[in-house]
Amino acid sequence: MKTKEFKWHILFIVIILIALYPIIYAVSTSFKSLNESFNNILSLIPEEPTTSAYQRVLSIIPFFKITLNTFIIASIVTLFKLITGVLAAYSFVFLDFKGKKWLYFVLISTIFIPFTVTMIPNFITISRLGLKDNIIGVAIPQLADATGIFLLRQHMRGVPKSLLEVAKLEKTPHVTILRTIVVPIIRPAILSMGIIFFINSWNEFVWPSLILKSTENYTLSLALQMFVSAEGGTDIPVAMAISVLTMLLPLVIYAFCQKFIINTFAQSGIKG
Amino acid sequence: MVNKVPPKKHKKLRQSKREQLLAWTFILPALAVFLVFMFWPLAYTFYLSFFKWNMVAPTKTFVGIKNYISLLKEKVTLQLFLNTLLYILILVIFNFVIPYILAFINTFMMKKKAKSIYKVFIFMPSLISLVVGAIVLQWIFNPISGPVAAVLSKFGITIPSWSKTQGLVIVVISLVATYKAFGYNFLVLLAGVGSVSTELIEAARLDKTPYRKIFTQIVRPITSSSAIYILIMSIVQGMQYVFTPIKVLTQGGPDNASSNIIYGGYKEAFTFYDTGRSSALSIITMIIFLVMLFLEFKYVEKGVYYEN
Repeated sequence: MKTKEFKWHILFIVIILIALYPIIYAVSTSFKSLNESFNNILSLIPEEPTTSAYQRVLSIIPFFKITLNTFIIASIVTLFKLITGVLAAYSFVFLDFKGKKWLYFVLISTIFIPFTVTMIPNFITISRLGLKDNIIGVAIPQLADATGIFLLRQHMRGVPKSLLEVAKLEKTPHVTILRTIVVPIIRPAILSMGIIFFINSWNEFVWPSLILKSTENYTLSLALQMFVSAEGGTDIPVAMAISVLTMLLPLVIYAFCQKFIINTFAQSGIKG
Repeated sequence: MVNKVPPKKHKKLRQSKREQLLAWTFILPALAVFLVFMFWPLAYTFYLSFFKWNMVAPTKTFVGIKNYISLLKEKVTLQLFLNTLLYILILVIFNFVIPYILAFINTFMMKKKAKSIYKVFIFMPSLISLVVGAIVLQWIFNPISGPVAAVLSKFGITIPSWSKTQGLVIVVISLVATYKAFGYNFLVLLAGVGSVSTELIEAARLDKTPYRKIFTQIVRPITSSSAIYILIMSIVQGMQYVFTPIKVLTQGGPDNASSNIIYGGYKEAFTFYDTGRSSALSIITMIIFLVMLFLEFKYVEKGVYYEN
């Protein structure tokens, strides 16, 4: 029995090593010199650790501006997705209106619409608004999120009915119920949704690549793309350095809010 | 008594009207975004698929279903569909079948406490940008200076240049998508499998039912809603996940060997500036996805949404 289980533990440890290897490889290579990156491929500890790759990143691209762009877009998107999501979810759970089920079905269905279907019209809309090559143009189409509404609705359904009955008997207005009862109860869910929205937006590539054209308006993922070609270009350490800088924030957030994030993600599937 | 009824009813009616108004006010912000950036674009793309246009010319020429016909006549389109099928096959195995089995093993075949730590690490790559995943895996599989090549060369094996090899290029690009999706899918399936009652499994174990049978006859039917969700996400989202490594690493090459229907639609629009063909291809893609959506709602909705 024990030995039987042992082999599964080995299996999982191997999978984890495969999952972590690219991260460790990126960090290790980013501290190698250009020369070492070609000659000392397998060692995960650089012989002569150097930050020269990071210095090159700073000299090639306006790194702080680009990080700030990424941060601003992610913050706007997160804030609005939460506000629009909480309001809509409240309406779907606690209020009655005609066509509720139908509207909910239609909104949730959009999760399955491939982005190529909306890409051209959205590109035209943003261009006409004069927001091309502008980080606001990246954020605007993403101010609401179907998955967010779906998950927030699931959490709101978990709010004890008795609390709401009392509030209704006291004729508490819905805005107050939302603010003083519902939001405080589902605060952990809202927070973890926020973290997920933020990380997803931080990592986003396709839509920003259509809108942003000049390097100073780039996001991190776009800047990263400057260092790639099919066979990888030649400067591995610099490509790894900017990769590390891009994944740093999501992984740090994960390190601190790991339980939170895992719970929210795990729930996203059960019902949907 | 009789007098009191009408005002009460009236009040209730007014109240429900006020509630309707409030409900729509709450939904309006989200709905406005969806209308402008989701539903209108959907209709407009459908409209554009019947026109010849280049996104800048002042006039669009109506061509009927010519865009669809020209697409379906071309050999390249057939290749895009075949590539898409190969992508789907690989993604379903790596992003659905394997995590599903692992979730089962982790839940019912392992007892040590350490097992809950595993998911924390397995999920980690799901938080990493696809561009980072693409760029790092590309170096790991680099045929000259990558670690995989370095290890294999010690055994006298040389690896081919994957980005120039038909078939292999799709495998490597799928791996980038797998790197991103695997942890998330595992987590969702783990939650699904974890909801199966332990007593049921224990009883089956006492009857000496082999694990394979426990999986296929007990766990799979009970967890079918999570499973179908992840299966569909592996395909629908997977197709969009592979877009980024295709765009970043190969641009669909060599000779369309790594392109698929999503990337094809993108290329028609932003490389050839042919909005008609791009839209037609997108609409075809969407119809394929809608069929899967139909399956999702047929199976998942029934058992799950309405349970409470």
